[in-house]
Amino acid sequence: MKWVEVDTQQAYERIRKKITTLALAPGSLINEQRLSEELDLGTTPVREALKLLIHDDLVFITQRHGLYVADINIPDLEQLSEMRISLESFCARLAALRADSDDLHVFEALQLEQAKIPSENSHLLLDLDHKFHKALVRAAGNKYLTRTLNHFFDLSQRLWYVAMPHLDFLSASVAEHLDLVDALKKKDADRAEQIMRDHVKGFYDRVRVVLEKKG
Amino acid sequence: MISKPVIKKMDMNTDSAYDLVLGINTGGTYTDGMLMEYHTREVLSAHKSITTKRDLSIGIESVIEGIHIEDPSMIQMVSISTTLATNAIAEKKSKRVALFLIGYDPDLIASYNMKRRFATRHYYYFSGGHDLYGREKQGLDLQAILSKVSDIKHDVDAIAVSSYFSPLNPEHEIRAFKAISGICDLPVVLGHHLSTKLGSVERATTAALNASLLAVLKEFVIAVRRAMQRRRIDAPLMVVRGDGTLMSDEFATQTPVETIHSGPAASAIGGRFLSRIDDALVVDIGGTTTDFALIQEGRVTVSEEGATVDGYKTAVKAADLLSIALGGDSHIAIDNDGRLQIGPERVVPLACLAGQYPLVKDHLKRLSRCSRSKATPESLEYWFLLREPKAVNQLKTDREKILVDLLSKNPMPLPEILKALNLLTVKQIGAEELLQREIIGKGGLTPTDLLHTEGRYTSWDRESAELALNIFSRYQFKTPGEVRQRVWNKITETIVHTIITFLSGQTLNLADMPQEGDMARWFFYNSLYAAHPHLETRFRLQHPIIGIGAPADFFLQDVADKLHTDLILPENYEVANAVGAVAGSVMVTEEILVYPHISADGFEVLGYYMQTGEGRENFEAVGDALNHAKTLSHELALGAALRSGADNPEVIVEVQNDGLDTYRVQARAIGNPRLGGRK
Repeated sequence: MKWVEVDTQQAYERIRKKITTLALAPGSLINEQRLSEELDLGTTPVREALKLLIHDDLVFITQRHGLYVADINIPDLEQLSEMRISLESFCARLAALRADSDDLHVFEALQLEQAKIPSENSHLLLDLDHKFHKALVRAAGNKYLTRTLNHFFDLSQRLWYVAMPHLDFLSASVAEHLDLVDALKKKDADRAEQIMRDHVKGFYDRVRVVLEKKG
Repeated sequence: MISKPVIKKMDMNTDSAYDLVLGINTGGTYTDGMLMEYHTREVLSAHKSITTKRDLSIGIESVIEGIHIEDPSMIQMVSISTTLATNAIAEKKSKRVALFLIGYDPDLIASYNMKRRFATRHYYYFSGGHDLYGREKQGLDLQAILSKVSDIKHDVDAIAVSSYFSPLNPEHEIRAFKAISGICDLPVVLGHHLSTKLGSVERATTAALNASLLAVLKEFVIAVRRAMQRRRIDAPLMVVRGDGTLMSDEFATQTPVETIHSGPAASAIGGRFLSRIDDALVVDIGGTTTDFALIQEGRVTVSEEGATVDGYKTAVKAADLLSIALGGDSHIAIDNDGRLQIGPERVVPLACLAGQYPLVKDHLKRLSRCSRSKATPESLEYWFLLREPKAVNQLKTDREKILVDLLSKNPMPLPEILKALNLLTVKQIGAEELLQREIIGKGGLTPTDLLHTEGRYTSWDRESAELALNIFSRYQFKTPGEVRQRVWNKITETIVHTIITFLSGQTLNLADMPQEGDMARWFFYNSLYAAHPHLETRFRLQHPIIGIGAPADFFLQDVADKLHTDLILPENYEVANAVGAVAGSVMVTEEILVYPHISADGFEVLGYYMQTGEGRENFEAVGDALNHAKTLSHELALGAALRSGADNPEVIVEVQNDGLDTYRVQARAIGNPRLGGRK
């Protein structure tokens, strides 16, 4: 089993993408055999990959039903949102204090990138938002925070996709990054923290509306 | 009491003395496999099949199936050598790469005309880099780098970064890496990871080539793993490096550039192993390329300088060998000056294509009834769909879509494609991308077809091969026999020419128009064809030629005759590269540089740096730095060799003085492959 690293990684990345993009629906049962046929990978790497995904909280295992894709529900959303709101705003504070000129170049490049994306292209906006958050984590320079937040990113990425069809706010939401970059440049930690708090909170408020509508 | 443990030990020996290993070579054209008992080195079975480029696992699986492994669970190691990387580069089918050069002097590069050596057309200069004491030469222009990334990221598949003197101080490469990966998802390759040598151009080339091969090798390893899984083979997978040593599949996916020349290195090792001859020239003829390597005193000569592939000089340590784009499936065509041309492109032989698509044969029949002026050599070039494009958005232009549509059912000859698209020349089609991405393939007349017409090789449709050769000959007002002789002569000339220039290190230009009184050229042809009435000249190769690869039997006897030496075709010569794949040792090399820390004014040595991959440490005395470097490199090499699957590796540490008070501490860990994960 220890000899399968290369294709386990491949299986892991592809299954995770299927889950985060909702190609594997939240709450649905996972059929190992079918999944391995679909991905054209062996059953061993698929099984290994699923084990890793259990660690990521993206896959759950039950005694009776076997493996299924982690569900998305309101209580989960509340727990996730309170963690992210506080940690991401804290992360923005650290980033404002610690970002060096290399980090600022990255933020500026992302900002320019954003200007080029047509406002209706949700996929690109989503990807960019993700990169902004990662850059912020990197600038904060705390490896434990990095690990924790990367875990939460993956979990909340699915929320983006849930909300995607209703994302008229996406462009506006991403636009908040512009203010953030300005705050980082000025090393204004209070403002960076506040912007991020509003940014993440705003996102969850909207996702909550979508989820509640869906019932 | 004493005898018991002895008996037990003997039992253990007999138990462990039977280990099956599977060697596979995936070439550009054929996939070879062979099953061997590792300790007695007895080849138990062998098999050969066509390489299926669209999905290499099909070819590998059919090899594994053809071998009739009785009990796949007995297999303790699978090892692969592959000309995949070399072929991908030679046929320009590797992925598209942007090369970022930090601190390189554009004027200097231009004045030495070195820009063509970078192995990619997309290279960009940025300020930054360090000097030969590891001091920052110029600030790193990260802004410019990031803005370039935004511009080009949709046009390339990977990015390579090389900064000036990065082996002494990789800081700029690392900063560039962090920033680039912050804004895009492309794989990024850093020069200092691949070479600790100071040749900045070679390092850049190596980084660019490595980046272009990442996806190629990864897909390959996954394909092999998948094939192994289906056959229930649960064993470590090794990949052969360009110097014939082995690395684990994980290492290979990170440093695919090291597999350059791995096929020829393995076939040289396999050729020596099978023939038991210690001094010989090994010539391996495949479908796409022919490779040359010299065996001296039982060893494949290794070039410390760095491997050259397709004219690109790299920093990759590899067997000293030469690879030319000539093989059994090289395209036979007429060039713009009306001269016969064999290669460099590899195409599917018409005999094979016609076997798959009966329509091709019908078309050839019709063509042979046409007038001469209509049945041109170009009409023997067929294009066909290798695989369906995965998504419509993979096709960028309308013309690409029309072309794919045209070819969706059957192959089409080139003139008909041009007619359908209302174009005059091949270039206008703009199919380079589709060809590069292996969505479209080409078929045409090849030496393999000519062998079919002679009845010497008859795997596929002989009649189609004959039709094609007749059409080709008629267009040139020659008989099929004359054309065939011209092709065989030209192949012999090319191979003899390569052997002579490879061994002598001299150049001999045969391509251009002959100059008046050109002695070298006269000597060459006179030695091959004894043309002069009074002067006899000859080349004599002092060692025998060991022939490897399927067409060796057909192409090399004439070469050996012309060089007045023997041709040796060892048993199982068709699969010698697969044998060579398991005959190598596992090796990992770790290098640490120690160099002086010079004061800003450049007059005072403040101490010594010990530069490992990412970090560096400062020491007061050079002796302390060297001692630490020795210990550390020893540890690193040992750990990496164990991770890479070496059994009880031996570590040798050497210190080289590179001049200027700079030392290269090299630890090399070598061991036999650990079979089946046994400790």
